[in-house]
Amino acid sequence: MSEFFLELFSEEIPSRLQINARNDLIQIFKKFFDDNEIIIKGKINIYSIPNRLIVYINKVSKDVTKKAQEIRGPNINAPEKALEGFLKSNKISKEKVIKKSTDKGIFFFYNKPPQKVKTYDLLKDNIASLLLKISWKKSMKWGYYDLYWGRPLKSILCLFDKKIIDFKLNHLQSSNKTFIDKDLEDEVKSFNNFKSYIKFFKQRGVIIDQNKRKEFITKEINKATNQKKIYINFNEKLIEEITNIVEKPKILVCEFNKKFLEIPQEILIITMQYHQKYFPTFDDKKKITNNFIVVADCKDKKGLVKLGNQNVVEARLADAEFFWNRNKSQNLVKQVSKLKQINYFKGLGSYFDKIQRVRKLSGIISDELLISKEKIEIASSICKVDLMSDLVSEFPELQGVMGGYFAREQGFDEEISLAVSEHYLPSGIDSKVPKKPYSIALSLSDKIDSLVGFFGINLKPTSSKDPYALRRMTISLLRLIIENQKKIKLRDLINYSINLYKEQNYSFDSKLLNDELGDFILDRLKNYLKEKDIRSDIIECSINSHGIDDLLKIFNKSLNLNKNIKKDFGIDVIAIYKRSANILNSERESKLDIVGSADPGLFKNDYEKNLYKKIHTIRKYFSSIDRDENYDESLKTLSSAKNEVNEFFDNVIVNDQEEIIKKNRLELLKMLCKSFDNYFNFSKIEV
Amino acid sequence: MVSKKKTKNLKSFISFQDTILNLQKYWSKKGCVILQPYDLEVGAGTFHPATTLRSLGPKPWKTAYVQPTRRPTDGRYGENPNRLQHYYQFQVLIKPSPKDIKKMYLNSLSSIGIKHEEHDIRFVEDDWESPTLGAAGLGWEVWCDGMEITQFTYFQQMAGMECNPISVEITYGLERLCMFIQNKKNVYDLIWNNEGVLYKDIFHQAEKEFSAYNFEYANTDKLFKIFEMLEGEAKSLIEKKISLPAYDQCLKSSHVFNILDARGVISVAQRAEYIARIRDLTKKIGKIWVETQN
Repeated sequence: MSEFFLELFSEEIPSRLQINARNDLIQIFKKFFDDNEIIIKGKINIYSIPNRLIVYINKVSKDVTKKAQEIRGPNINAPEKALEGFLKSNKISKEKVIKKSTDKGIFFFYNKPPQKVKTYDLLKDNIASLLLKISWKKSMKWGYYDLYWGRPLKSILCLFDKKIIDFKLNHLQSSNKTFIDKDLEDEVKSFNNFKSYIKFFKQRGVIIDQNKRKEFITKEINKATNQKKIYINFNEKLIEEITNIVEKPKILVCEFNKKFLEIPQEILIITMQYHQKYFPTFDDKKKITNNFIVVADCKDKKGLVKLGNQNVVEARLADAEFFWNRNKSQNLVKQVSKLKQINYFKGLGSYFDKIQRVRKLSGIISDELLISKEKIEIASSICKVDLMSDLVSEFPELQGVMGGYFAREQGFDEEISLAVSEHYLPSGIDSKVPKKPYSIALSLSDKIDSLVGFFGINLKPTSSKDPYALRRMTISLLRLIIENQKKIKLRDLINYSINLYKEQNYSFDSKLLNDELGDFILDRLKNYLKEKDIRSDIIECSINSHGIDDLLKIFNKSLNLNKNIKKDFGIDVIAIYKRSANILNSERESKLDIVGSADPGLFKNDYEKNLYKKIHTIRKYFSSIDRDENYDESLKTLSSAKNEVNEFFDNVIVNDQEEIIKKNRLELLKMLCKSFDNYFNFSKIEV
Repeated sequence: MVSKKKTKNLKSFISFQDTILNLQKYWSKKGCVILQPYDLEVGAGTFHPATTLRSLGPKPWKTAYVQPTRRPTDGRYGENPNRLQHYYQFQVLIKPSPKDIKKMYLNSLSSIGIKHEEHDIRFVEDDWESPTLGAAGLGWEVWCDGMEITQFTYFQQMAGMECNPISVEITYGLERLCMFIQNKKNVYDLIWNNEGVLYKDIFHQAEKEFSAYNFEYANTDKLFKIFEMLEGEAKSLIEKKISLPAYDQCLKSSHVFNILDARGVISVAQRAEYIARIRDLTKKIGKIWVETQN
């Protein structure tokens, strides 16, 4: 077996492009080896550090035997050129071809004998085109060259069993050399194999393998934090990114002036984490500390790096502190009218207009959620004021959260402050969902107002584009309702919202909007339920049987049936329904008009009577359950008809000679199915 | 090269003006045309025609210059230690981008007292786009021990046209850089020259007064009209195919737009519209300029 080793040296490639290139290279090489039937033992290893992309395969077969092959050439009547081309592409002379007739005419053929091909030669001929197959998410050109790469590519080292695979990629010629100093690119060194290469860099403190580098960083951070009894929030994305932007990681525990701990911790976190790629640290009570972790890319022998990073954080925090002190005392209520100057969206008015609508909408929701109308209206009125603060223009991600802090500072009730703080939540599928009723009410109102507005001015998402993130907003709306188990009559709220727009002279086509937005919401619900691994036939039945006023019911019923459909009583429910529905379906062609009302006077036996009685028991159950239906119980009640139904079918022939008896029996089955519809229409459930 | 003793002196005392002089000297040695700042208000060194227009077309070009930069919205009345509505950029543009540009850049840092081997120098992804210039590029912001000191960009597009060959642009934020070199936490404490003149002696009053102008006193009705006039002038010059004077009008209108923006009288929707209008001018001007190069 042979060794294949490729190194692509470039200027610093950003983290996400490294990931992109690594994934592509694996696929590209795997496909190439598979297509050419080259055997690989072990893995295709792809490594990267900012300046180097590496492909290393330690056991690849030296050669491959290609089977004999009959290759069809051009028709014998084709112009001479065609044959010449065929000979040339197969590197053969004319004597090698034969004529053979096929049902499409007489053609030239070449019987290619079995052939041993060297992997080296295959690679040499193909590697340049393989490398060009990387589909960079973003790529660039430089100098006079035409090559597109993530960042300027400087050299290519390519070896097959110590031998250079000689090829050109655009202006670059492969060799056995690479730059060993990434900064000045002054020093060049040649390598024989991967082992000596990795050993050389290891001695220089460079960890080539990103997985090992990540492990090392994690271990070192743990070591450093354990010593100081502090903790970090292990942020997978941040670790991944940091791993990709260093080659010789060094953990520095730094600190900033304790006075900055007075600033809201979200600001501290965002400053360190997003802007500087540091890890904020916390004490055992989850309170933020003035220590932070920097992963440097050098040894910092003189301590300059630590000092520099501390200065940077302090400068940034001084900025934030300045804004915090200024903004927290700016009166929220007095600023509300200034929102008139900020456009919410063209055709949907200013933010002032928006909060007027949200305020009224949340007032309505407050009745359903049994909370104080006055308080939720105050929360609505001030919830967008923070958009005008320096802090939110500096850290847009903190919209809402900052409003909450300002409200607290200015003595607003905690429920109001929290509602302001959380009213953009949940912001996605993994984001935290507000649990407090005031927060739910405000978040719901804000989202309904936005959805109605955007659908109203016909800016709904298309299949490929959703520039205003309305899908995500709808998922958030669903999560608010479902994960808080709230019964919200959405239809009414949408109509009320349309009216609120109308009062402000924004007229929307109410019917169209209702239909489109309703369908859109139900579509998102479908996806949401699918994510919960609920069978799609169950989702279909549940959604078809209810509307957007019953989102919670749709969710609970489908979840419950999904959970029980394989249990005895679940199986029974479906079996009973299907057996009855099938008979009704087979009679659909007949002219009988079955409405679901049997006449007990026409019953001829006890089986009919018993079933009739059972149906009444079921109906009674469903009419007696209050708002809090136990869906488990409902399914069990339905399944309890099993005996009556079986005995009916075993002993009664529905298709009676007498038309009136037959019709009455069909009516009885229809009654049964209808009573099952109280759960939902089971007709689309697949057995 | 500089002797060891001298480097040590450099490190603790290199003044703002010496930083500029050293960079000029360094890039002059690398063959750059050392230019003076463009004499109009611009939002970045990139707007200097020596960068925007000269990065277009096939002719090689190397230049370096200081450019005072105006960002009306960043004014803080002289009260913020890091934010200024007027500051200095040192700009280098080389077309085509040389192979060893990273080395040149790192060595330029040594010329102002930052030894790259003692610091954590990072090239952090930062793709650049200027909607008003119709320009885009790929590159990095360069961090020195966590502080952003330079923008490093390979232009891919300028004035709506694909660049060929590709230019590389290096933009040093001089105040940031000097704060790092002089170890100051407040920009106003920077030492301007060896006589002890401070940054605040020169600029503090200007920051206060221009912040007041940009945020409070600028007459927006008039500025809206001035914008229209400048745009009209640019359009008529474009018709006459005179690119450089047309570009001046375009720069002026861009600055007027920035003041209006700082005054908070431009809505989100309007903003996009104004930017599109300026971009439209730049694109036409770029095209004329390229045509006149042959």
